[in-house]
Amino acid sequence: MSEKREKPIERVLWGAASLLVVTYALIPVAWMVSLSLKRSADLGDDRFLPRVVSFEHYEAVFRDPQFSAALRNSIGIGAISSLAAVLLGMFAAYAIARLDFPGRRLILGAALSIAMFPPVSIIGPLFNMWRTLGLYDTWLGLILPYMTFTLPLAIWTLSAFFREIPWELERAARVDGATPVQAFVHVIAPLAAPGVFTAAILVFIFAWNDFLFAISLTSTNDARTAPAAIAFFTGSSRFEQPTGSIAAASVVVTLPIIVIVLAFQRRIVSGLTAGAVKG
Amino acid sequence: MAEIELDGVTKRFSGVTALNRASFTIRDGELFILVGPSGCGKSTLLNMIVGLEDVTEGEIRVDGEVVNDLDPKDRNMAMVFQSYAIYPHMTVRENMAFPLELAKASKAEIDERVSRAAKILELEEVLDRKPRALSGGQRQRVAMGRAIVRKPKVFLLDEPLSNLDAKLRVQMRTEILRLQRRLETTMVYVTHDQTEAMTLGHRIAVLRKGEVLQIGTPRELYECPKNLFVAGFIGSPAMNFLPARWENGRLVLPVGSIALSDEEGRRLGAARGRLIAGFRPEHLQAGGEEQPGLRFEVQAEVVEWLGADVFVYFDVALRGFEEVELPEDLGLQGDNGDHRSLLARVDPSAGLREGDTFELGLDSQYVHVFDAESGENLSTARD
Repeated sequence: MSEKREKPIERVLWGAASLLVVTYALIPVAWMVSLSLKRSADLGDDRFLPRVVSFEHYEAVFRDPQFSAALRNSIGIGAISSLAAVLLGMFAAYAIARLDFPGRRLILGAALSIAMFPPVSIIGPLFNMWRTLGLYDTWLGLILPYMTFTLPLAIWTLSAFFREIPWELERAARVDGATPVQAFVHVIAPLAAPGVFTAAILVFIFAWNDFLFAISLTSTNDARTAPAAIAFFTGSSRFEQPTGSIAAASVVVTLPIIVIVLAFQRRIVSGLTAGAVKG
Repeated sequence: MAEIELDGVTKRFSGVTALNRASFTIRDGELFILVGPSGCGKSTLLNMIVGLEDVTEGEIRVDGEVVNDLDPKDRNMAMVFQSYAIYPHMTVRENMAFPLELAKASKAEIDERVSRAAKILELEEVLDRKPRALSGGQRQRVAMGRAIVRKPKVFLLDEPLSNLDAKLRVQMRTEILRLQRRLETTMVYVTHDQTEAMTLGHRIAVLRKGEVLQIGTPRELYECPKNLFVAGFIGSPAMNFLPARWENGRLVLPVGSIALSDEEGRRLGAARGRLIAGFRPEHLQAGGEEQPGLRFEVQAEVVEWLGADVFVYFDVALRGFEEVELPEDLGLQGDNGDHRSLLARVDPSAGLREGDTFELGLDSQYVHVFDAESGENLSTARD
């Protein structure tokens, strides 16, 4: 009896709580979208919804060669970073999950401590090193620190996924005539795909969102990524704040992330291994 | 087609001996069973034969060729795992084609062999399904299918039926047996279930704690167990055990004494220490006064009617005899206080009911006498 009476109340409470969290999270986003759609003249009108919807800021943003270059840089650097981090992370995670070698825990611990290292503390030395090495304001100059800071995450995520895959599948592949590499490529890697996607997306989002390295280690359109480029936006006159353009650029930068997460959510969550072992 | 010779094969994991000097030959075309309780080393041995575990010492030879250092992929053996280990991201067809693709068989040959295997195993309907859409029995079949498409030298099966329910297990057992007879390929089958071992095997090796205790046909193991463990492990219901003494040329049991043959007498006379007598439930006969041997009266505690047989459980007072200590891993009931519970498998025509007092006869030729310390069977071999 008590269960039946509690159920609607519980549902209402859960609903209210979810609504609160979603509202809290989405209001700034909604505000940003609204700003990006207002006319320049209406920017300070203290209204939540735009009086007239206009795409002038978007047009302005895409007319700006600096922003399109930045988008290209962001996509390129993000993609290469995730690819490299996931590839390296996969080998490391596979070894950690499967092989029993001394120092396994040490590697995991060290990887974790690197992830916790405050990036701001290495920016100064990195700036000088990159200038000496000629990596300043290059793609590689950003890819390297992004990989460094995301590899631990990739290793941890991937080793958790590898551990989930029944070892017998690999042994079965070996008996079926596969070399260790073939067993990995045909059996283990496809099964670890959700993990690989998760790791790749996380690395990409890190690289995509990073501002600190991007602003410190770049100086021109050669390697400046979108978040850094937005900071260099100027208004059309010295008395005008570039609020509208910044809002529009931010929406443009946010969209791919939302699309990626929504598109791969299924893939990340799906239990591909169902049916591998007795059911 | 292959003959597998094991020569002093030993496996040690960081100081623990999983298998100790196993030496025997698995003949070409034979269905050979490795049976024993968990942790006896049977799966380790199988993994060494297929190459998934290294051999610490000794040699494994297939058709005379030493394969110790041969990679599993080069051994041309097929294995069915306990968990089936079907690739979950591939369809049934892709699963079965996988070994052939690795062997770089032609497309036409792959298709032909897969459909033939699917026909044998009745998997034609589900060829394009993913494993998660299959029943337990079908998954088991897919694992078998993946093993047979390749025409391997040897099949290795690691407890293939233990994840199936009882009915399906009996059905698949028959299917495996039929398949093996049809393909005439050497098959090594690991199980902990002695019934499976007895019904399937041409020959059986009983393993315990890394030692091979006895190798023989099901009948040899049943009728002439070499030691207490094999005697208690093989046979369902299990053999009855009673403490025994050798006195004045007769074997004295808590229920009476029996005369043994001269040769047995000589062997027992030489043995010092405590003895354990063992006899199978079906060798206890109700009534039948004309039979030679020991007769004693018992009271039926529990009567189980099974149609063709009746199982009668009864207690025997130990009367000053020491308790019987059976190996723990047999999982058999020990003594309860000064009594020992035994079982007779009698004819239903005797019409026994719970609480009845009745007379049982035991022919002395069916009594095995074991050394309580070493477990060795001291009686002569019978056939």
